[in-house]
Amino acid sequence: MADFDPVTLYFILYESLGAWLFALAGAAFLLLVGVIVTALRLRRADRPARKPVMAAIAATVLATAVFFFMVPGWTLAGIDALSGAVDILFATLLALVPGIAAGAIVFMLAAGRCAARSVRHPVAT
Amino acid sequence: MNRRELLLGAGAAGALSALGASSTRAQVSSARARIVIAGAGAAGLSLASRLSRQMENATITIIDAKRAHHFQPGYTLIGAGLWQPSDVTFRNADFIPSGVEWIEESVTEFDPDANRVATASGRVVDYDFLFAATGLVLDYRRIDGMDESLIGKDGIASIYAGPDAAAASFREIESFVDKGGVGLFGRPSSEMKCAGAPLKITFIADDRARRKGRRGNVELIYNAHAGTVFAVPPVNDKVREMFAARDVAVNYNHVLTAIDPGAKKATYRTESGDVTLDYDFIHVVPPMRAPDAIINSPLPWQEGALAADGWIEADKTTLRHPRFANVFAVGDVAGVPRGKTAASVKWQVPVVVDNLVAETAGREPTATYNGYTSCPMVTAYGKAMLIEFDYDGTLIPSFPFIDPLGERWISWLIEEKGLKGAYRAMLRGRA
Repeated sequence: MADFDPVTLYFILYESLGAWLFALAGAAFLLLVGVIVTALRLRRADRPARKPVMAAIAATVLATAVFFFMVPGWTLAGIDALSGAVDILFATLLALVPGIAAGAIVFMLAAGRCAARSVRHPVAT
Repeated sequence: MNRRELLLGAGAAGALSALGASSTRAQVSSARARIVIAGAGAAGLSLASRLSRQMENATITIIDAKRAHHFQPGYTLIGAGLWQPSDVTFRNADFIPSGVEWIEESVTEFDPDANRVATASGRVVDYDFLFAATGLVLDYRRIDGMDESLIGKDGIASIYAGPDAAAASFREIESFVDKGGVGLFGRPSSEMKCAGAPLKITFIADDRARRKGRRGNVELIYNAHAGTVFAVPPVNDKVREMFAARDVAVNYNHVLTAIDPGAKKATYRTESGDVTLDYDFIHVVPPMRAPDAIINSPLPWQEGALAADGWIEADKTTLRHPRFANVFAVGDVAGVPRGKTAASVKWQVPVVVDNLVAETAGREPTATYNGYTSCPMVTAYGKAMLIEFDYDGTLIPSFPFIDPLGERWISWLIEEKGLKGAYRAMLRGRA
């Protein structure tokens, strides 16, 4: 394990994914920025984040569950290949990648709508 | 990797390092040595990459006629019908570092007394240090009646001969499963690369037949060359147990010596004389040996078990030649007890490079190789055992959360998705 330092992992990922690595990293960065900006908009609008967060969690769970069943296929294997706790754990972790992306998108959409509604219908203080 | 990507990558790598990477900085040497690398396979390219970075003033020459480079660990997945030959085929030119001279010829003569090698065109190249990384020869002709051109015909398969042969082997497996009959598997008695592959292809044929509902129509027999199916005792026990559970019969001390493709008969040398078995399908693993240029040189072992097939004499911990101190043997051609896998190369190359760098920089060379090798043993479609062991046959798992003797999808994930990237990074001296 000691041999798998971050620099080595970077080169392994680069050789595995090629330029897609940068596309994925860029997409992850944009999603992160989008979530932060939308959260700030929500805060400025003085709207509660509960509903967008709940929607994001639901989307993450749903997308992760869907992708969990697709992950073995991505490795040219069937779902029956998952045969132990470590297999299920790693399949879940991999499925979390698109799951979190879906959650982030849903959060941005829901929070954006919430903030926009606040502008149209300001909350009385 | 173009300049833009490299800069982006370097930035990302730097950022990752700043997060607390435990990466150790490679030592360097400013020696103006002439270094020759014979062979541009996994070991040769990896050596060229590391040496060019760690010995900037050295003159490095790599000699090999081959232009295509094959990711050989992927042959099993081609044999399973999952990958295509194009998935394992790269260009050597893409991995030779700038500043390294590539002579596109084979080495035909090694003269370690005069510190020089000769190429096919008669060109003589002098060196201060030689890295012999020629790979090995698949000697199909040592099996009477066998020829590489027979692969993919009349039930004969062999995933070792290259990506196209591996693809042809899959077609033969499919045909065998569809038609039914007796399938023979096994391995040679010589030292060989990836000793797990003959077992993997047996498991794949078994699983393929099960998935097609045809297991009852095929009889699978594994002919082990010795009294075990695998040299590492816990792995041997596990595989025997799995073969028993999957109704794969095992014959011990059976070495394939002849094949009659017309009659579909295979002859094995056994302790009680020759035995001939009928087959409908046979997976042939050829005897392996050092290339002729090595065998005809003073470099091989002069006596002992490794002398017969011409493997280069080498100290098993430093890979340095005991009679020619400026010669190192790396990869398949090295005459060491284990280590004819890409995983071995991954650990051998840093040892020989770090030791040469230390020596030429006036420091004591201290790096040692413990015989590490790895075999992601595919046991079914989607499952594998991630077996790693050293010279002593001790299991040394890299990932403490993966049971080396457990059939896991996570091990398959590493085989199917992880190894090729790691291998390519290794060729660039980055893993």
